[in-house]
Amino acid sequence: MNLPFFNGKPLSRARREERIFYLFVTPWLIGLVFFWGGPILAALGLSFTDWSGVNFSDIKLIGFDNYHKMFADDLFWQSVTNTVFYAVGSVFLGTIFALFLAVLLNQNIPGIAFFRSVFYLPSVTAGVAIALVWTWILNPVVGLLNFGLGLIGIDGPGWLQSPQWVLPALIIMSLFRIGPNMIILLAGLQDIPQSLYEAAEIDGAARWAKFRNITLPMLSPALFFVLVVSTVGSFQIFVEIRIMTEGGPGTSSFVLVWYLWQQAFVYLRMGYASAVAFILFIVVMILVGIQFWIGSRLVYYES
Amino acid sequence: MTKKTISRRDFLKTAAAASGGIFVFGFLNPERGVASAQDKTLLSFGQTWDAAFRPVQEEFDANWLAEHPDVEIEAVYSTWADHNNTVPVWAAAGTLPDIIYVHGSRVAPWAAEGIITSIQSFVDADPEFEVEGIWEEALRLYRVDGELVGIPYDHGPLILGYNKDLFDAAGMEYPDETWTMDMLREAAIALSDPDNLQWGWSGELDLGAGGAGAFLGGWGGVTMNEDETEMALDTPEARAALEWWYNLIHVDGAGPSQAQAEGGFGDVNGPWLQGRTAMAVVPSWETPGLARDAAFAWDVAPWPEGPVKRETGSFGSGFSITSSSVAREAAWSYMREYLSTEGMSTVWGSTGRGSPAREAAYQSWMDSADAPEGAGYYLDALKEYAVTGGPFQTLAAPEVLDILTRQAELLRLAEVSVDDAVNTIMAEATEALEALES
Amino acid sequence: MTSINRELKKQNTAKYRDSRFGSITGRKKVNVVVALAILIPLAILFLLPFFWMVSTALKTRPQIFVFPPRFIPDPIMWGNFDAAWNDFLPFNTFLFNSVKITMNNVIGNLVSCTLAAYAFARLQARGKRIVFGTVVALLVMPQEVLIIPQYILFTQLGWNNTHLPLMIPAWFGWAFFIFLLRQFFMGIPQELVDAALIDGAGHFRILLFIFIPLSKPALATVAIFSFIGNWNNFLGPLIYLRSEKLHTLPLGMQAFQGQFGNTDWQYMMAIATISLIPVLVIFFFGQKLFVQGIALSGVKR
Repeated sequence: MNLPFFNGKPLSRARREERIFYLFVTPWLIGLVFFWGGPILAALGLSFTDWSGVNFSDIKLIGFDNYHKMFADDLFWQSVTNTVFYAVGSVFLGTIFALFLAVLLNQNIPGIAFFRSVFYLPSVTAGVAIALVWTWILNPVVGLLNFGLGLIGIDGPGWLQSPQWVLPALIIMSLFRIGPNMIILLAGLQDIPQSLYEAAEIDGAARWAKFRNITLPMLSPALFFVLVVSTVGSFQIFVEIRIMTEGGPGTSSFVLVWYLWQQAFVYLRMGYASAVAFILFIVVMILVGIQFWIGSRLVYYES
Repeated sequence: MTKKTISRRDFLKTAAAASGGIFVFGFLNPERGVASAQDKTLLSFGQTWDAAFRPVQEEFDANWLAEHPDVEIEAVYSTWADHNNTVPVWAAAGTLPDIIYVHGSRVAPWAAEGIITSIQSFVDADPEFEVEGIWEEALRLYRVDGELVGIPYDHGPLILGYNKDLFDAAGMEYPDETWTMDMLREAAIALSDPDNLQWGWSGELDLGAGGAGAFLGGWGGVTMNEDETEMALDTPEARAALEWWYNLIHVDGAGPSQAQAEGGFGDVNGPWLQGRTAMAVVPSWETPGLARDAAFAWDVAPWPEGPVKRETGSFGSGFSITSSSVAREAAWSYMREYLSTEGMSTVWGSTGRGSPAREAAYQSWMDSADAPEGAGYYLDALKEYAVTGGPFQTLAAPEVLDILTRQAELLRLAEVSVDDAVNTIMAEATEALEALES
Repeated sequence: MTSINRELKKQNTAKYRDSRFGSITGRKKVNVVVALAILIPLAILFLLPFFWMVSTALKTRPQIFVFPPRFIPDPIMWGNFDAAWNDFLPFNTFLFNSVKITMNNVIGNLVSCTLAAYAFARLQARGKRIVFGTVVALLVMPQEVLIIPQYILFTQLGWNNTHLPLMIPAWFGWAFFIFLLRQFFMGIPQELVDAALIDGAGHFRILLFIFIPLSKPALATVAIFSFIGNWNNFLGPLIYLRSEKLHTLPLGMQAFQGQFGNTDWQYMMAIATISLIPVLVIFFFGQKLFVQGIALSGVKR
């Protein structure tokens, strides 16, 4: 963009736009510099030390030792595979489920406000209550899920008590928290002009065709957001692990943030934990970058 | 009717005023914590009591303050589950309270990081405090390099709890001091009816610092050597013990596997709390909760004797003065009364919280309303056969404990055999210990 | 000046919007029945934690652990709510603190995030990609390792044991909301903006009088999410607020959790239920903003 030199004459539109841009993002930039940038740089720096997280006087630079140690640790790699497995499952299933519910709840059904509130409810209920209820639901012997499976003749597995089934159990549980995503997709659906659907109906389009050619493209900005945010969120799953499995049975539900937390606050290895956090950060940034690249081709914005 | 018009200027003015108002409101109400008055020393006390217990603490503080008018106490409450996370955070910024609660498992790491430091000098200069009246096993937890870095307030052994209702229904005799492990096994098998979700034994298998003594000690097994530099689990004795408990669950069917033990509360003692298990491990610190939660009649009995000897594990918590404290004298003058015989008796003996760390304060607990009839058995255990098991001294302790817990969990699930579990523990824990030296 | 604003609204939004937004009309009855057949069982499932919560709040302690679990307590301890709120800790203070922090943060978030989102959605500038990259980066960064450096930072500022660390940052944006609003703003046609610019409107006015009215669902979403996130925020208050009189509702609720089975579940769940009420009320009534149908079309002169 060729901008005219500022020399006292009225500024061109582009230059003015740039000024307004920076004016509008000033709060963000200030926050970045003062509240978040510093700690992030500190964390990055700490990843090259052996700091325990307690005494400043004890910081010792150890170069890339933390990273070497990390890549040699089997538990780290297991955390990686567990996290990836969980992320793929929960993003895929969760987005479909959220979309399904959003479409369902976009209609004029009696009690629509009630239903929307109900599906959003678990996201705002105390985590303890959710954890306890789900421990019961997933109980292999007396739980609701295996009871239901038994009704259709399936012998349900051990879920949270089985090293093979604990991650699927957590994925199922994550479906409980799709409330926010559902709301976002719902808001996106609200934005789609009715006239488009009517025009399609006049042309004789079937329901699936309408969905594919109108709903999905018009919804794609919101859908894109949900995918990105779900991906980021699923890689960062932590609270459920802390309350329900603590990484078990054995290490079968060890996920990266749990691994990181143990290292930081239980074993007092903040430097090492910072290194893990950075690897996690880089991996997810790459994934999100890929998503943005794909998004630039597939997401339809009205601009 | 004219439409209400908002000029841009007006809008901006109101917006600015609103935002500014909120901003200023926020600033004007920083509501800083307690500021010490001119001539008073400020003593901050970091605790983790639940809401129901805080009045007891406050009463003690009020009485103490009446005798020490030159001090002001600031109570800093964290939750028990998160306390171990907030302390390192506060330590990093130097905002720790003067006195903090320290669980026995945190003593070594926090002392190594300099969060808590020696108070041996205070103890030595204060014979009236009668530090020797505190169980030696309890003091052991709080000694680093030969010096005390904290004072324990409770120290509890693990002994046997039993469901009287289930024993009565089967017409069986309650456990007592004559019981051996074989008798426990017989009773457990007799009282088990897995099809009806009832078991004789809770199916626990605890290899932690408190549990190792109970589950391995009777066979002569230990998890680590005395000075906690090596793992000692790979012995015939320890393996025999593990096999025994493993078989009790998976071969005899006298205890639920962990899958069956999930009680809907994320607590592997679900069936015990629900009254579906005849016997379980009941450390002294669980008795107040049981007294309030159990809908069945229960009592405690001595931990049964194993093939080699009678031994159980014990563990405890206490309080320390933080190294960043500037009111150490005031802190000690508080602690010496808080953790004296009278202090212990008042605050958690008579309130029924659990076994105090002093024998002299024990009677107050045994006399309290919530204490089980067999509370005296905890005292016997402390005097005769309870050992504070490791690891808790080595800096690799947290990691070793996690390794032990994970394999114990897998054993309870029958996901690994005893041999595999022992081998895995030896390999992983040895690696963790060796990493310490490098 | 204001007539320009009216013109903007009239011309552009009338073209773009029609009053039948938001609901798919003309559906046959069968679809409603099918929808309900799916929704009702799912709804029951989703309501289970809530039922359990309320049921536990109304029980005496021994009843909480019986097996098989009972959903209807006997006796029903209505007094638990009163006891939990009044007999232990100053919950009125906690409530006030929670309201204060949450309201402040919701407004702060709305203001700061809307500005930034508009900029990312509609303005061009050098370095825009980098700045937006920082937004995404903050979204991705695991927060756990930032706890200690941030705590040290705020302590150096002297904000320890005050509400400030919990209230000030909200005025400086939040990555999640900026990203969300940016997506929605990018869905508003460029022609509207162009037409308004030709008419001589500045970007701030465009934001205020075109984008905001057209983005009610998105803004409502942000407001609701912000409210809930702040209302239930536990870790921040735990670390920064030492004095009990500064504590918030979640901290008060957690205070009922004791060590080793000394937890008064019934009181804890009573507080959890009470704490849920404002959230539900706001959400339930916020539903209205999800239905467009506001007569922006056919505006009379």
